[in-house]
Formats: sequence, structure tokens, C-alpha cells
Amino acid sequence: MAKCEWVQTALPDYVEGSLRGRAKARAEAHLRHCAACRAEMVALERAGELLKESGVIPAPSRVWGSIQAEITRKETAPAIRGLRALWRGAVAVAAVAAMLIVVWAVRPHQAPLPAPAVQQVAIDEEFQSTLEGHLSSVWVTPLADEAALGLQMAALGEEG
Amino acid sequence: MNEDTRKLEELVPQARAGDVDAFESLYRRHQAGIYTFLRSQVREAELAADLTQQTFVRAWESLARLRDPGAFPSWLHRIALNLVRDEAKSGRARLEVVATDVEGERTGAAAREAVARNPGPEQLVLSSELRDRVWQALESVPAEQRAALVMHHMTGMSVTEIAEAMKVRPGTVMSRLARGRAALRKLLGSYVEAQDGQM
Repeated sequence: MAKCEWVQTALPDYVEGSLRGRAKARAEAHLRHCAACRAEMVALERAGELLKESGVIPAPSRVWGSIQAEITRKETAPAIRGLRALWRGAVAVAAVAAMLIVVWAVRPHQAPLPAPAVQQVAIDEEFQSTLEGHLSSVWVTPLADEAALGLQMAALGEEG
Repeated sequence: MNEDTRKLEELVPQARAGDVDAFESLYRRHQAGIYTFLRSQVREAELAADLTQQTFVRAWESLARLRDPGAFPSWLHRIALNLVRDEAKSGRARLEVVATDVEGERTGAAAREAVARNPGPEQLVLSSELRDRVWQALESVPAEQRAALVMHHMTGMSVTEIAEAMKVRPGTVMSRLARGRAALRKLLGSYVEAQDGQM
């Protein structure tokens, strides 16, 4: 039969149900015949029962209020942060717009921008064509009779 | 699936979706277990209340990471245990349970219940004294064993749940429970010894 010393060392495991196989059988055989070890087993069981009977202690009633406040604050915090970011963005856009308006209002008056090069070329060609036509007509067409007579009379008068 | 697990399967997804009422239901079901556990681990009732708050706030923030709703109790205790360890590292938490405070913290429900059963004054005094003695004895049990004892005997968690909460093997939990129970038995002395003729 197992000695009391061995059994009482094994008893906590036996009470927890973690003693198995031959060790468990050896302890049980001893307990059937040993009142002292049975008393020790009962004391161990009673220790667990007392813990259970002591029961749980409710948290102070204010705790839930604090939890609720904190999770609500944390839930709304991202939304507030989002609104703030949106507000900062709007202010930045407004500032840029105001700056552009001021710059536009105080800008120096300048000549209109030149037309695009392609249009410029077209105008130049047209102008050049007109000019060439006029010069050509002056060169090849004699002056009108009245004009020619006037010029001749003026020349004769100077000679006379 | 038992009633508790069924409720968890229902409440945890609702709370995860942002339902504060569902989360409050979870709080109501588990607050006493968490507070008692924390009360057994830290020095002051105020700190235990603060850590209870932090435990549930952290749980709310992390619910998306909890895959199995049925694991909520062990997961919650895991959070509480981590907070206790953080406090211990910071040097603020040290167990010094003042038994009379523990008794004084009770809402009085147990006392009212006892009065309703109409016991004599001696019985009430004995009950209160015994509870105080249990808490004083717990104070002297090593921390890991104390945590296992409270989770198992006071909160009603299984060995598997405690193993999940403490991130150890079930065999380790069994060992801690056995050693803790043996320590408690010695500390409680005659309070747990059978009187003559009661065997």
C-alpha cells in the first residue's frame, strides 16, 4: 500500500483529476483504507469549494459608463478628424482662389496675346499678296491721263 | 451548444458590427468575472476598476480579430492578464488584497440573500469572516497559481479556456490548479478541515 506521504503529495493532482493510470489506482487503494488521507482530500476539495462560494465581485457600477464614454469618443474621433481635414482642405482651396482673384485684379494691362503662328502666317501672306498686287499695278499701269497731264504741266511751268 | 455559447455566437458578431447594446450585454455577463480576476491580481480596487475598463475598451477595439465568438471569455481574460503584466512592468501593480475592502465592495446582494434566509448574526459574521479569510489566503498564493484558481473556481472557466487565456498547455493549468489548491488548503488551515463526525 502506498505511504501517506506519497499519497498526500499526489492528492492535489488526484483532486484536480490529473492523476492517471497506476498512480491513480494506487492513490485510490490507499484512500479506501486511510482516514487521514481522506480527510486531507476533503480539505483540498473544500478549499476549492470555498473559492467558488466566495463568488465573484461585481465591478463598480460607474465602470460601464466610463467604457461607454470611451468607446463612443473613439468611435466619433475619426469622424471629427475627417471633418477637420475637410475643413482644412476647404480653407486651403478658398485661400488659393482668393489669391488668384487678387492677382487677376491687379495684373498690368497688356496687349492681347499674338495670334497663333499659323494665323499670323496667313495674315502675312494675304497682306503680302495685296501689297505685291498694288506695286505691280503701279509699275505696269501708266498714270491716269489727268494725273499725267498735271505732272507734265507742272514740269513745263518750272522750266518756264 | 450551451446557452452561454449560443449567446456569445449571437452577441459577439453584433458587437463586432458596432452594436453598443450587444457589447453592453457582453459586459454585463462578464464584468464580475473580469473584475474579480483583476481584483485578485492587483493591489487597489480603484486600479482593478480601471483595468476592467481598459480590458473592455481594448476588447471593443479588437473584436474584429476574435474569430471564434465562443472564445470570448478566455480572450477577455487574456486581455486582462496582459494589462496586469503591463501594470506589473510599470511597477504600479502589486497584489495586496485587503480582505475587508473586498467584503465592503460587494453590492450587498449576498448579505441581503443571507438575511432573507434569516440566519443568526453569528452565521453572517462567520460567512463574512470566511470570505475575507479566503481572499487573504489567495494573496499568498503565487501569481500564476492564483490566476488559475480564480479563473477556474470563481469565474467557472474550464481548464482549456484557462490554457487559452494564459497561453500555456492544459497540463500546465492542471498543475497550477493542483499546486494552488494545495497552497490554499495550507493557508486556510482549520477553515477547510472537517470537524469531528463530519467525514
